[in-house]
Amino acid sequence: MSVKIRAEYIGTFRWIEVYLMETIAGWIASTPEMEAKVVLGRHVWQSAQNADALGKRAFELRKPLHYSVAPSTEYQAFLERIRSIEAASDRLAGFYKGVLPGLVKKYQAYLAWTNPLMDEPSVIIIKNNLAGINRMVDEFNTFAASPDLGSFQNSLPSETDTYEAFLAAATQAELIGDTAHS
Amino acid sequence: MTKKADIEDGNTYKTINGFKLRSDPAREACFTIAQTDAEMTRIDEAYSAEACRERLHRHMNNETGSLEIAAQTLADFPEAPWELRMELARQAYDETRHIEGLYQRLCELGGFKGEFPIGNFEWSVTMMQNNLPARLAIQNRTFEAGEMDLLGGLRKEWRLIGDTKTAELLDDILADEVNHVRFANRWIKRLVKEDGKILLRIAVAMRFLSDANAAVSPPIEGRASDHSIDMASHYKLGVNTTDRRNAEFTDEEINEILKQSGMKSLTASTNETTDNG
Repeated sequence: MSVKIRAEYIGTFRWIEVYLMETIAGWIASTPEMEAKVVLGRHVWQSAQNADALGKRAFELRKPLHYSVAPSTEYQAFLERIRSIEAASDRLAGFYKGVLPGLVKKYQAYLAWTNPLMDEPSVIIIKNNLAGINRMVDEFNTFAASPDLGSFQNSLPSETDTYEAFLAAATQAELIGDTAHS
Repeated sequence: MTKKADIEDGNTYKTINGFKLRSDPAREACFTIAQTDAEMTRIDEAYSAEACRERLHRHMNNETGSLEIAAQTLADFPEAPWELRMELARQAYDETRHIEGLYQRLCELGGFKGEFPIGNFEWSVTMMQNNLPARLAIQNRTFEAGEMDLLGGLRKEWRLIGDTKTAELLDDILADEVNHVRFANRWIKRLVKEDGKILLRIAVAMRFLSDANAAVSPPIEGRASDHSIDMASHYKLGVNTTDRRNAEFTDEEINEILKQSGMKSLTASTNETTDNG
């Protein structure tokens, strides 16, 4: 993978992290549960840090500081679909059970493709981001399992199929559009 | 008195005593939402067990509002400089820790969510502003700076009644609030330097805040308004000049606050502090 292509991926990951940060930031006021607001607020900061590290790495790859590239139309449509979900429980399920595990797979695919020595700074950043995302998912699962939140749990989508559909969409959508390779 | 759910531009608004404000953010059904100061619980004995829980409960909801404002501002202004967006994201995270800390302490003292009415005045006023400097001026530079003053004094008061744990919690929160006020001061100065017209927007926003205060805390015949009582108790706790300096208010600005708080005699020497930390 050339430096140019790596920079496109790093810029695309940054665009996604910023989009995720904005998405959950925009959900906080309309989510009733105080504990859910807390979880989302914590994760706004995690996504911001993920984006920040990627933006600085893009500069090292001969791109402007905080270079961002929109992902493929298909991937954008998937993210927009999740953002537009109205019910608090459904959107949290879509985010934590679909978007984040799907993004983990995209990051892992990048780690498998890239040169682990020559692109080691990117590898370190992505591993840090993966650890952060895993913490986000763990914190959501802890919150969702809290015995004090019975009504919230009842409103979570109960069918595993729903989560699998989110995850499948997140995984199958191509990350990089045609323009990135031009 | 209150009319709700007018929808414009995708946002909903309410009218309080004829004054238009942003509708309340979402809260769980256990909470009773007050629209004016008069609807809040007022307990005469300042540090009774009930009054202590009410303070923590009110503070917890105020921190929730701060989280919501920082996060929504982050979402509403995608073109803002990245470094400023990072500050807002960090603030959102800090506020979550404040909420958790206050909730834990509230529960330890036998309280619970929804025990007292809550108000969302800061959200309803700040979110009426359609520009980022105005939101920073109202939320960070005014409300959070006022909280620095309160926390500076309250730390001592909680210690005096023997509640070191709450005093230490408030001290931790205060340290974070200084950062939130400081970054707002820095960015407002920077943005005004780049575009002088921003000062006018801030002035309009501050006038709006003053008018909103009057609408939400109208004077009641025979006694001062609840808001004036709040301001009196605020100033009784002192102006936290040390942390206002840490947050990069100028000496001139601090002097002006001291004058407003009736501590004019201290303004000649800005080295003197009135905080009670």
